[in-house]
Amino acid sequence: MALLQISEPGMSTAPHEHRLAAGIDLGTTNSLVATVRSGDATTLADQKGVHLLPSVVRYQADGVITVGQAAKVAEIDDLQNTIGSAKRLLGRGVSDLKTLAGQLPYQFADTEAAVPKIRTIAGDISAIEVSAEILKTLKIRAEASLGGDLKGVVITVPAYFDDAQRQATKDAARLAGLKVYRLLNEPTAAAVAYGLDQGEALDEKIIAVYDLGGGTFDISILRLNRGVFEVLATGGDSALGGDDFDHAIAEWIVQQVDQSTAHTPKQLREILVEARRVKEALSHTDVVAVTVGHWQGSFSNEQFMPLVANLVKKTLFACRRALRDADIDKDEVADVVMVGGSTRMPVIRERVGDFFNNPPLVNIDPDKVVAIGAALQADVLAGNKPDTEMLLLDVIPLSLGLEMYGGLVEKIIARNTTIPISRAQEFTTFKDSQTAMTVHVLQGERETVEENRSLAKFALHDIPPMVAGAARIKVTFQVDADGLLNVMAEEKTTGVKSSIAVKPSYGLTDAEIETMIKDSMLNAKADRETRKLREQQVEADRTLAALDAALACDGEVLLSTEEQHTLQRARDALVASKQLDTAEVIKTAIKTMEAAAEFYVARRMDSNIRTAMAGQSINKFKD
Amino acid sequence: MSLDFKQNYFELFSLPTQFPLDKQQLAHNFRALQAQYHPDRFAQASDQERRVAVQTTGYINEANEALKSPRLRAHYLLELQNVVFKQCDTTHDMPFLMQLMEQREALEAAEQSNDPLEVMDQLAKKVKQDKQLLESSFQLSLQTGNLVDAKEKVLKMKFYERLDHEVRRLQEKLEDEMFA
Repeated sequence: MALLQISEPGMSTAPHEHRLAAGIDLGTTNSLVATVRSGDATTLADQKGVHLLPSVVRYQADGVITVGQAAKVAEIDDLQNTIGSAKRLLGRGVSDLKTLAGQLPYQFADTEAAVPKIRTIAGDISAIEVSAEILKTLKIRAEASLGGDLKGVVITVPAYFDDAQRQATKDAARLAGLKVYRLLNEPTAAAVAYGLDQGEALDEKIIAVYDLGGGTFDISILRLNRGVFEVLATGGDSALGGDDFDHAIAEWIVQQVDQSTAHTPKQLREILVEARRVKEALSHTDVVAVTVGHWQGSFSNEQFMPLVANLVKKTLFACRRALRDADIDKDEVADVVMVGGSTRMPVIRERVGDFFNNPPLVNIDPDKVVAIGAALQADVLAGNKPDTEMLLLDVIPLSLGLEMYGGLVEKIIARNTTIPISRAQEFTTFKDSQTAMTVHVLQGERETVEENRSLAKFALHDIPPMVAGAARIKVTFQVDADGLLNVMAEEKTTGVKSSIAVKPSYGLTDAEIETMIKDSMLNAKADRETRKLREQQVEADRTLAALDAALACDGEVLLSTEEQHTLQRARDALVASKQLDTAEVIKTAIKTMEAAAEFYVARRMDSNIRTAMAGQSINKFKD
Repeated sequence: MSLDFKQNYFELFSLPTQFPLDKQQLAHNFRALQAQYHPDRFAQASDQERRVAVQTTGYINEANEALKSPRLRAHYLLELQNVVFKQCDTTHDMPFLMQLMEQREALEAAEQSNDPLEVMDQLAKKVKQDKQLLESSFQLSLQTGNLVDAKEKVLKMKFYERLDHEVRRLQEKLEDEMFA
């Protein structure tokens, strides 16, 4: 045994001090907290012995705030003041409410602020504050159970979460008085929970994490080598989850019970509840009795399979895509980890096993597996396991880029790039004597600005006036280990600088992210058309600018009035063509104008040569 | 402990500064550097140290991306030899461009064929082969010190990269359609 412990500066800790740390799974429906005790990670229960905390918060007039089961019970009677889907609003802006408000039963406050607030009897509340209440409850639970203050936590987020959503999650933690060691992607946490890094094999291996929750599906491909986890690719479907399987059974019941009469919303809700019960029962037994009102029947796994075949197939398509993004063959996948309550369904386990040709790992409770992994990572980051080799490398879920002239997006960092990363690219001015440049940062996979998410916009001023193309503006993107972005712009010849910490007040909806990725594939052709049109419009502007500059310089000297009129007409035609949304028309108009100006160009060249030669001795041109 | 940013990317990973790459070695040394410098290793350290860690690993990741891709690696090797790439640089090799155009047309035609996914797979294979041929011919130009030729080949690699993306995008589009 060592007599002296030598610790590096900054890492120093009193010997034997064990820092209390926890992992938190902040979920849409339920949240969990877990911690490592005597080497084992376990989730922590409340006083009643319940581990899952419903992610529901109720605000009352007297200022009392209730979190969890008690709030959930009150939800039906006090819908307006009981908030149950805060995670769906995290990192969203007022502009996102148009699409979300219809799905959520809350009243939103008219606010000047960019963060939307829900109007409750206790005042206007943001999703960040609601999430903070849930985190506070878990913090108290952990500290009571561990008997001390938490030094830090790891909070899990969906791999799909964008910059704004990650930032909002961190803000909520700060509000709850928690120090966040790290935001961790949920699939990575699940892989850690299975201790797949503890294996005896030293060679690298590939892990797939299949996460089917209530309303979302995520697939992630990870590579593991000597304790280092690398996320190679992520994918999924933010509009597919266990609820869809409930609906499939509910539809079947509706058909069986009565096709002639319309069902009341109350009856439909009863059918849905029964459908969910049947689905859950099918995880333990092959045939289940179904009762709705006076109707009775039975439903089996055999009947279930064909009903949901398409849903399962959809998840497997996403798996194929993620494998291709990772450049991995499905035979190379060594382990498949199941996450999310919906993976208890035998139909899912069977088909996923068939697809990967490998039975999936199911021995850890799929509802708890993410929190357990987060706890293990929190323990490492707290410095409680100094000898561990475990290191988690994540990627960014969506590409980051800049707006270019003409509304096109230039990608600076492609999706699935390992973070942290910093990348610089040089740009230049488009016009003569341009002294300012707008830096518009975007996130998404599409080619045009409108179809990507705008993250931030800032200006670089005081660029010294130069000829178009002479300035050298270096834009640097820096993404940290949590996936949060910083952007800096610098004019290289003068050193003029400007920067921004991208802290947007809103984010993308999960559905938007999914649609954006999908659209970028489907609308590739439309994008190309748009791009072509933009290119021609830019080209037209360039041609017009060149003509105007030339005319201003020597038009009156070199051209007769009639010639000037001819050129003016060609110019007008080109300007008019720009209004038409057809690339071909603009292209033709550019050509026509260029042809009309040909004699002028020739004349200018002659004139330039004459000017250049004037005053030169003949000798210079001899050889 | 700080990283020497003056090393070139190859030196950073203790690799010879050359086009042929030992991928295993790169992956191994990449992870070793990450294990040493990643911000998670500094979770308990000061903000200043954490910022340095973010910058350092950012640099390591950037270097790794630059070496992993044959095109970026080739590009970087030429830049080390003071070859300048401008934004508007492109190849003017007409037969090459014609050949690419034909491949693009074949790609579009594949959509209409009986078994588009199979045809697409074949095309992807062909693109991969052509890409590899180009890479070995780049290596030859570099070895013989013909930097002008070498640069031309790097510019051509970009075209294959785009074609590759196009193939992948069409494959995914076809899958989506088959599924819808």
